[in-house]
Amino acid sequence: MRIVMLLLCFFATLPTLAAEEILPFADPKQQALFRELTHELRCPKCQNQNIADSNAVVAVDMRKKTYELVQQGQDKTQVIEYMKLRYGDFVHYQPPLQLSTIWLWLLPALLVLGMGLYVLRKNNQQQMLVNDDVSSELDAELQAMIDEVAVKASAGDKPV
Amino acid sequence: MRKLLFFIPFALFIGLSMFLFSGLFSDPRQHGSALVQRQLPQFQLPDLMQPEKRWTADELKGEPYFLNVWGTWCPTCNAELAFLTQLRQQGVRIVGLYYVQPLDAAFGETFDLKALQQDVQQKLAEQGDPYQFNLLDEHRTLIFDLGVSGAPETFLVDADGVIRAHHVGDINPQNWSALAEAYQQLVRK
Amino acid sequence: MIPEIGQLALTFALALSLLLAVVPLYGSFVANQRALLLAKPLAIGMFVLSAFAMGCLIYAFLHSDFTVINVASNSSTTLPWYFKMTASFGSHEGSMLLWVSMLTLWTALVALFSKSLPLLMQGRILGVLGLICLGFIAFSLFMSNPFARSLPFYPVEGRDLNPLLQDFGMIVHPPLLYLGYVGFAVTFAFAIAALIGGKFDSTWARWARPWTLAAWMFLTMGIMLGSWWAYNELGWGGWWFWDPVENASFMPWLVGTALLHSLAVTEKRGTFKSWTVLLAIAAFSLSLMGAFLVRSGVLVSVHSFATDPSRGLYLLVFLLLVVGGSLFLYALRMNAVRSQARYQLFSREVLLWGNNVFLLTATLVVFLGTMYPLFHKELGLGSISIGEPFFNQMFFYLAIPFSLLLGMGPWVRWKQQTLPPLLKPLTLVALAALTLALGYLTLTQQLAANLALLGMLLGAWVGMSAIGEVWQRMQQLGGISTGFGRLQASHWGMTIAHIGFAVLVIGVAMTKTLSIETDVRMKIGDTAALGGYEFKLLDVYELKGANYGGQAAEIAVTEQGQPIAQLHAEKRFYPIQKTVMTEAAVHARLSRDLFVALGEEIAGPSWSVRVYVKPFVRWIWLGGLLMALGGLIALLDKRYRRSFVAAPLQEPEQTLEPQQSQEPANA
Repeated sequence: MRIVMLLLCFFATLPTLAAEEILPFADPKQQALFRELTHELRCPKCQNQNIADSNAVVAVDMRKKTYELVQQGQDKTQVIEYMKLRYGDFVHYQPPLQLSTIWLWLLPALLVLGMGLYVLRKNNQQQMLVNDDVSSELDAELQAMIDEVAVKASAGDKPV
Repeated sequence: MRKLLFFIPFALFIGLSMFLFSGLFSDPRQHGSALVQRQLPQFQLPDLMQPEKRWTADELKGEPYFLNVWGTWCPTCNAELAFLTQLRQQGVRIVGLYYVQPLDAAFGETFDLKALQQDVQQKLAEQGDPYQFNLLDEHRTLIFDLGVSGAPETFLVDADGVIRAHHVGDINPQNWSALAEAYQQLVRK
Repeated sequence: MIPEIGQLALTFALALSLLLAVVPLYGSFVANQRALLLAKPLAIGMFVLSAFAMGCLIYAFLHSDFTVINVASNSSTTLPWYFKMTASFGSHEGSMLLWVSMLTLWTALVALFSKSLPLLMQGRILGVLGLICLGFIAFSLFMSNPFARSLPFYPVEGRDLNPLLQDFGMIVHPPLLYLGYVGFAVTFAFAIAALIGGKFDSTWARWARPWTLAAWMFLTMGIMLGSWWAYNELGWGGWWFWDPVENASFMPWLVGTALLHSLAVTEKRGTFKSWTVLLAIAAFSLSLMGAFLVRSGVLVSVHSFATDPSRGLYLLVFLLLVVGGSLFLYALRMNAVRSQARYQLFSREVLLWGNNVFLLTATLVVFLGTMYPLFHKELGLGSISIGEPFFNQMFFYLAIPFSLLLGMGPWVRWKQQTLPPLLKPLTLVALAALTLALGYLTLTQQLAANLALLGMLLGAWVGMSAIGEVWQRMQQLGGISTGFGRLQASHWGMTIAHIGFAVLVIGVAMTKTLSIETDVRMKIGDTAALGGYEFKLLDVYELKGANYGGQAAEIAVTEQGQPIAQLHAEKRFYPIQKTVMTEAAVHARLSRDLFVALGEEIAGPSWSVRVYVKPFVRWIWLGGLLMALGGLIALLDKRYRRSFVAAPLQEPEQTLEPQQSQEPANA
């Protein structure tokens, strides 16, 4: 621990130098694009990792290539197409929108729709049967408690 | 009608189980190559043993062959050398694509062709040499263009330079038959 | 010797589970009271034996008995004792035994705490649990024996525990997660018992509710701890990866959450019956499917166990019997049950249905995202990947209506609600939410039309609504001081859980939008600036741990010249497993985390260093913990205890016959 403290004193006196970025970008937009791409591209060799998080050879190569392409000014779709041409659809964590994958979006939408329509239809059927004395109620126990408080309060108001 | 409605969860579950069952017997790590049915990408790479000789995609055309990605650093590749050598003796044409692992220049690792050649020669002398020749892909450019994720991987290329099949992992007597059939078909053409 | 005793105990547990699966169920059909009464001792005995077996396995690990294959492959003499203990559930075999211990624990708890349930119901529930225990104990014993020996040849040193698992998270995460996973077995057993009996009234829902709450609470904590662990240990600054294994735990959680809400409707209003039962079956089925996915190797994941198709096949057959069987029974029995309760379109019933719509759709999204690549490939359509972009997109669209409904739900009455009385409080809540969200973002100069703003708005809406609603209820109950104690525990639980959700939403949205990072090459003495903080690399030195080596870095953090903290980041190398691990340094505050990960050494000498500033990331886990806390508080509601006492101790003889729906189709 003492050594650490000594080191601290020693280094505190050194002139500070700004660290350089490992993959420098002149344009912050390109940097953001690079980040986005490395998080969305999948390392083909790894278990289930994007290329930003993996240090497998192929992930490092893909990262380099992505850096190169982004530096050249290519946009997101161009880079992804470049990778897909070599590694297939598998390489992108967003599945392509095509006939075989449309269900990924369609089924959830249909479920929301179906469950929504179900409750509407059920309600229509009920409407015909419903009698008029709908006493709105809270959770019955809670309502009972509230009533009790109200009764007590009104009892308290009356002079005995 | 209402009765049938209550069977929907059951039916869906049975459908799902069938997929799960078939999933048990397929390797999720195997995924098809995007390159199959496409031209072998253009390249210009030196011969591992005679670096002054440079190969291009066009020079490889003429008869079908297997392009085998390998490296002496990869144990599975070394394990398949013997079987590949048998295949070569039966007249199968196999071209090697040597996968050079990245070097850490920071720690004084530099690319040493002489040492690599010796290493390769020694390994091929021990295990058998299946290759007509080896392409040296020092910066993994062709390897990247082929969408190779590791070694060994093997591509079957026809006489016109079109990739016809792709195999990940070692080739051995158990899985050879499927590739053999595809190869024989190309040879007969 | 000890491992053999453990194996013997497990074998006896198997025998007891077989008896438990047969005797009480048989008793319930022939109305044999003695057979029914046997369920309790059998369940408790089974738990004692399984726990004893687990103890024997821990003993073998603590004593580094490398003749046991499981110990040799997952431990080493250099491992600290507490990791030796947790290594006992670090492998597939060991974790299966942990799973069995937890399952039998729940079974024993049901046996102990269901005195007030009708004997018949008790017998059926414990019988169903016995069946499930039978399947898993047999799996553990015959397909993945944790006690298997490698005699006569055994290694002198073990292969060590996977360094990823050598973390505090490993001590608490798996037991809690498994408690949650298998806890849904209890709800499942309640549902099956009710299906066999054909009796669904609100008492059934009242019995099942505390058990569901308990399982849900453990699962919530397990998932949150897992996320926190991944954040600290994986070195990527991520807290959720949409990995199949994570999804496998998320799906039962989503369905479990839907079930909690649907159970409320069934208990209070006697409706949604067939739906609630379906959810009860689904929650546990998804737990089982999760176990299958993690252990069969069907999907590629970062954290799956070593796989083996024969194990996968066993689990699949088990899945078919349990899930297929119960869904078949459901189809046969449930279509006769009708509920007669009526409600208007604007009522709590319908809002809770809305909750279920979005939770179920979220489950479907996770399910499709996890399984679709498998379907796609097995249909010969090629390989695709589904990950973060897809899930983010879908959850974005689901979270908006869900949060809007959630902000309204607690205010709305059962059966029927008119809009006018709600206009004033809801407008106030909306205004408060707007002020809070816009105010905070303006003050911190982060206001922009982005996800952070949306998340803040939604979170504030849900949070303010929960606070406002509980405030109003307390007023109705005679003011804050008296109302505080009078309000039911379950109401407090709901409020806290909803606030937890609000906190979580804010955390996710803020972290996603406003996190910044940089990858720099640093020499000693260099500084990196990020988000107003300066990170100065003071020193890097060699590290020597009990079973690892590596490098450690000291990094001083300052903000405008003021020292904030000194961080200690490590890069460890575990020689036995030849694995490199990043131990990131984290400086946590409620409003932001500073996260530094030491990368590899580059010539120079310099090091690659990854630095993140992650605003509000703590809120994600805080939100999760609040949700779990809400569950715990709701569990303390005296209603559940009272209902047990009030429940009839004995059912009349004639109800021993399984019967069709108790309720008339039309009251």
